Amino acid sequence: MAFGLEVFKASGGTGFSTADVTWQTLDQFTVPANATVSNTYSDASGLTIIAQRQMVNVPPSSQEDYVPNISISGTTVTVSPQSGLSSSQCIVHVLAQDI
Amino acid sequence: MSYGFEAINDNGKVIINDKIENLHFLGKATRGGNNSDYGNFPNYSGAFDALDGRTIHYFTITCTGTPIVFIKPYPNGRFTGVIKQSVSGTTWSFDVVVSGTSTADPPELYCFVNADEAPTSSENYGMQVFKANGTTRTFDSRRQPLAITSGGTVIAPSDPTLGTGLPTSTSGHPWNYATNDHDFRCQGVHNRYSDSSVTTTNSSDLMFSCPSLAQAVCRRRMDGFKQSQDYGQPTQNHYSTAQWYVMYRAAFRVGTRSGAGFFDAGWVVYAAGYSFSSSFEDGGWFGGGGGSYSSGTMPYSPKIINLQSNAYILADSSRYD
Repeated sequence: MAFGLEVFKASGGTGFSTADVTWQTLDQFTVPANATVSNTYSDASGLTIIAQRQMVNVPPSSQEDYVPNISISGTTVTVSPQSGLSSSQCIVHVLAQDI
Repeated sequence: MSYGFEAINDNGKVIINDKIENLHFLGKATRGGNNSDYGNFPNYSGAFDALDGRTIHYFTITCTGTPIVFIKPYPNGRFTGVIKQSVSGTTWSFDVVVSGTSTADPPELYCFVNADEAPTSSENYGMQVFKANGTTRTFDSRRQPLAITSGGTVIAPSDPTLGTGLPTSTSGHPWNYATNDHDFRCQGVHNRYSDSSVTTTNSSDLMFSCPSLAQAVCRRRMDGFKQSQDYGQPTQNHYSTAQWYVMYRAAFRVGTRSGAGFFDAGWVVYAAGYSFSSSFEDGGWFGGGGGSYSSGTMPYSPKIINLQSNAYILADSSRYD
């Protein structure tokens, strides 16, 4: 590369460089069933934020597992049950990218 | 910025700084056993018995943090998804569903965490970036930071079945009628999203992160009825109900060597069943005794839940091999 940052591994190969793109991680947390959680990430001001949800429970054999909703407003991420429904325990990864 | 560190990539975007942590490679999860089933409806044989089947592979990895996982599917066009992630102590477990009953060519699971939770490295070359507290790493080049290829938003189709429309409940069938008329297979039912980063040369190395959240239960129900002739006596009523049901989970597929440039969101069979019940009254002209028969139960209500747009992220697994 003619300019930028390139960090090498001991083997001589490129480990990471400014030719790369990535998502950085703001937070990861587990939301209990039926809970509402709201977090603000001021360091992510101006960045694009996404949140990935992953169900914790065993896939249902006799029940319905409702994933909680995610809403993102500015730098605030809110996780809450779907309207009128009981939500299941859920892992949330909050990621940020400068887009 | 007045102090600290910030790296801007070729597109002018921040990719490393001293405030937000990058993800780093934790390792590949260890694959344990598997469970394969539902190539067809259990306890039923007849028309539209075939399903696509599914295999669930069980993985574990040890970590103090909460890993975010990427599936590297075997490039054979099968749909894949992480349907469960749980932890006991520091051992994380993952259930990964793959379409089809073949247990061959399982996917691999690549796990990423914050730098401080990634394995330490004995290398003394590289670059580390710390937060202002001086102890929390945001970046460590020796711990294989995550670089992504692309991403987007996807959603599976609202009807998982190959049959026309969602299966229905109908009455007016002959008593004890139990011949399925709906194609419950889901292979090939998907929404396709263009992704130019998927090429014929890199597709077999690509891995994706996109948890399976959507779940669908579809049911075909047929109610049968027959009434005896009266011949001056009270009539006898005969009732029957046949039900076929399938529970599906959302699953995904990245372009294969034979077809690049896309990411597919579809479905995989998770569970299926067949139930049948029949009853007949006593008395009437025949004067016979009544009775009933039933087999199987349907533990679910037919509905589709959690069908929401889902973010996916693609990355090149070969950087971490």
